[in-house]
Amino acid sequence: MSLIRQALARTAPTMQFTARRWASSQDGGPLDPSTALARPEELEQRNKLSGKITVPVEVNLGPISGVPEEQLKERRVRIHIPPKNAMQSGTDNINTWQIEFDNRERWENPLMGWASTGDPLSNLNVKFGSKEEAITYCERNGWRWFVDGDLKPKKERVKNYGINFSWNKRTRVSTK
Amino acid sequence: MIRAPLVKALGALGSPTHQIASRAVRTSAVLAQTPAKAPEKIEVFVDDIPVMVLPGTTVLQAAAEVGVEIPRFCYHERLAVAGNCRMCLVEVEKSPKPVAACAMPVMKGWRIKTNSDLTRKAREGVMEFLLMNHPLDCPICDQGGECDLQDQAMAFGSDRSRFTDINYTGKRAVEDKDIGPLVKTVMTRCIHCTRCVRFASEIAGVDDLGTTGRGNDMQIGTYVEKLFLTELSGNVIDLCPVGALTNKPYSFVARPWEIRKVDSIDVLDAVGSNIVVSTRTNEVLRILPRENEDVNEEWLADKSRFACDGLKRQRLVAPMVRMPNGELQAVEWEGALIAVAKALQKAKGQVAGIAGQLADVEAMVALKDLVNRLDGELLVTEQDFIKGSGIEVRSSYLLNSTIAGLEQADAVLLVGTNPRYEAPLVNTRLRKAYVHNELQIASIGPKIDLSYQHNNLGADPNLVKDVCNGSHAFSKVLEGAKKPAIIIGVDVLERPDGAAIHATISEYCKKLKKPDWNPFNVLHNSASQVGAFDVGYQPGIQAVLQAQPKVLFLLNADAGKVTRDQLPKDCFVVYIGSHGDNGASIADAVLPGAAYTEKQAIYVNTEGRPQQTLPGVSPPGMAREDWKILRALSEVVGKPLAYDNLDELRARLESLAPHLTRLGELQPASGGESVAKPSISISSTPIDVKQKELRDYFMTDAISRASPTMAKCISAVNKQQRQDEARRCAAV
Repeated sequence: MSLIRQALARTAPTMQFTARRWASSQDGGPLDPSTALARPEELEQRNKLSGKITVPVEVNLGPISGVPEEQLKERRVRIHIPPKNAMQSGTDNINTWQIEFDNRERWENPLMGWASTGDPLSNLNVKFGSKEEAITYCERNGWRWFVDGDLKPKKERVKNYGINFSWNKRTRVSTK
Repeated sequence: MIRAPLVKALGALGSPTHQIASRAVRTSAVLAQTPAKAPEKIEVFVDDIPVMVLPGTTVLQAAAEVGVEIPRFCYHERLAVAGNCRMCLVEVEKSPKPVAACAMPVMKGWRIKTNSDLTRKAREGVMEFLLMNHPLDCPICDQGGECDLQDQAMAFGSDRSRFTDINYTGKRAVEDKDIGPLVKTVMTRCIHCTRCVRFASEIAGVDDLGTTGRGNDMQIGTYVEKLFLTELSGNVIDLCPVGALTNKPYSFVARPWEIRKVDSIDVLDAVGSNIVVSTRTNEVLRILPRENEDVNEEWLADKSRFACDGLKRQRLVAPMVRMPNGELQAVEWEGALIAVAKALQKAKGQVAGIAGQLADVEAMVALKDLVNRLDGELLVTEQDFIKGSGIEVRSSYLLNSTIAGLEQADAVLLVGTNPRYEAPLVNTRLRKAYVHNELQIASIGPKIDLSYQHNNLGADPNLVKDVCNGSHAFSKVLEGAKKPAIIIGVDVLERPDGAAIHATISEYCKKLKKPDWNPFNVLHNSASQVGAFDVGYQPGIQAVLQAQPKVLFLLNADAGKVTRDQLPKDCFVVYIGSHGDNGASIADAVLPGAAYTEKQAIYVNTEGRPQQTLPGVSPPGMAREDWKILRALSEVVGKPLAYDNLDELRARLESLAPHLTRLGELQPASGGESVAKPSISISSTPIDVKQKELRDYFMTDAISRASPTMAKCISAVNKQQRQDEARRCAAV
């Protein structure tokens, strides 16, 4: 009994396979006239529009971005988190990654006394959500970059009003 | 209200009871530190967002954890809690009145409302009271544009005021105080946050500022007329949330929105403080600290902050060559380089180089490569150090406990160093440990004021031997400590018996060593020193003077240790540097270099952390970056160096010492200290330090010597001293 079942199980897949092949070769379904009559380039175009666009992994926008070559070759982009202004206690604007170019010469404009520069990239200051995004952006534009600093977890501090008055510690405050 | 606390009074007497008391404190502190088990976190809700915090966390800190910033004036995270401005009042559900978020620890299940009607009303009320007596002089106030009061009045204040001056009495007016040449005061603007008072007494350790009067009549000041003279006084400018304390040299110079900010590194001491250079129209206007928890926290020493006007004076703007009549004459780069190249070719390998205090690593490597390619070997630093095998092991010339690590130290011995003036921000760490960690400090050297109490053991160098063989009383303290540290100043290591002292201490430190704690520390005071040793420079100029070179390069060497008389008559001295100081005055050819705000260059601080400066402005006139000058010179001599840009030079650096290009990171120096026993034993000449008083602090290098502000500081210190003496005479 069991031997027969085993034999059947062994033959069954081959039978199914042959059946499927037969079916597919017999009728491929109704032909779509628009596909059948289309020229190959039309087919290609349609194919492109239907699915996702495949993009080469490495993009270099450098040559087509219009940025002069001397700017591309000599400049370095610094990817960093802006530091907190020591003069103020607010921290709202310092939680993003930014890119900035190396600093070039500036001078005082003799007409108005304002600061002038010959550097077209001096005010390019783009914010990013993460370091990686900034790196990708620089890579795509063909800029040389370096990452300066990193996000450091904030140190935990114990803040205690009472230690100002502790009798036996040096934290006691006498000057008020 | 000024009263001496019990501990201080006892300490001043130096009574044995105090020692017992402090020991008792230590044991209780240790007991408190031993983590029985991690305390359970409690849940609170900030604007209905749940957050788990440790018990004891304040409302303000809990809110910060979910990104809600509660407005504040008096609260500062690095100062003690004062709780007097009331700006941080927030509503807590089921609490009858709003609580001061900066001082109130959270309780389990609290629902904190930072934007409710009650909270907003409380803020508006506080703001209304503050503005009632705050002058409306924002257009002529230096703080305008970076003022906490301005911003918070906009964000949290009411849109109108109920204040009408019905009696025509005017606003509260307070007389301005003269507290020195660095800090300008407009006391009418003061909102009594007492941040400056707390900074002076806690961080700087100078109890000069305080409050007098109360209520509306309260005043911040020194009570008697006195200058606020400390090496950290500039920090009160940053701390002041309004324009009451502003930067005197920078007053009415620029507005914050006109300024460009460049992140950089300070090089006027060996701490390597992180700074922000504010520039406008190719001019450095001011320098502010940049937060770095591992180096300078948020503070900056006065020299680093205010010596920036020295960057505009005494600058070398054109290459110069000494003419037959003995005068230095400005020439074109071509002429200067050819003159140097001719001398180099005549020298036939008798070439040497001295790197000074402000030399960057790139320039030192370029100079080393150039000298080596010309068959020279002698490359030394101007600052002396121990001879022989002292610098072969990296850990024997570093501050191994690290600057941030010193905060956790519980016993420190200072040998021949005055950290207060040699490295003010290392001293603040020591003071922090003294205040919060019951640190015991002893010093061997002259009696100096370190801004905290310490035990001066004496100036006899043989005390080092006593401590290190365990026979001194302080050895017990060091050996019993969890994290002991011995800090040696470079002034000691310059002595003929420096090597013996170094060896004795490093031997003892092996005994004190703990896993992940190295107690052996050298405190440098010049920014270039560690970098120079890392790339293979030898310490001390004696070797160069003995070799009698034909061509001598002075790379930023301005300390005046090399004089013309010590050198052979036909020696051609080439100075590369930014300022016309001692180095340039003896040079035959002067090649103008860039100062630290004008180049991208690496400096290694005393703990061995490489950090880079970024150019904020361009070098003046024909001055160029130092390594570029050396690269150009190598081309003219016909031995071109193998790098054409900074990246290639950095690659060369990496091959020399890989840790140098891992910027901002600390590579722990492994291995024991040098083991070679020096032949000289410790002599009996008393140990001395160079910078004893505040007046010695202000001018230590070419930049600060050129700075008029630093000159004003010195004269202010002198004036204060004369006044004190006159007062003392009158009293007698």
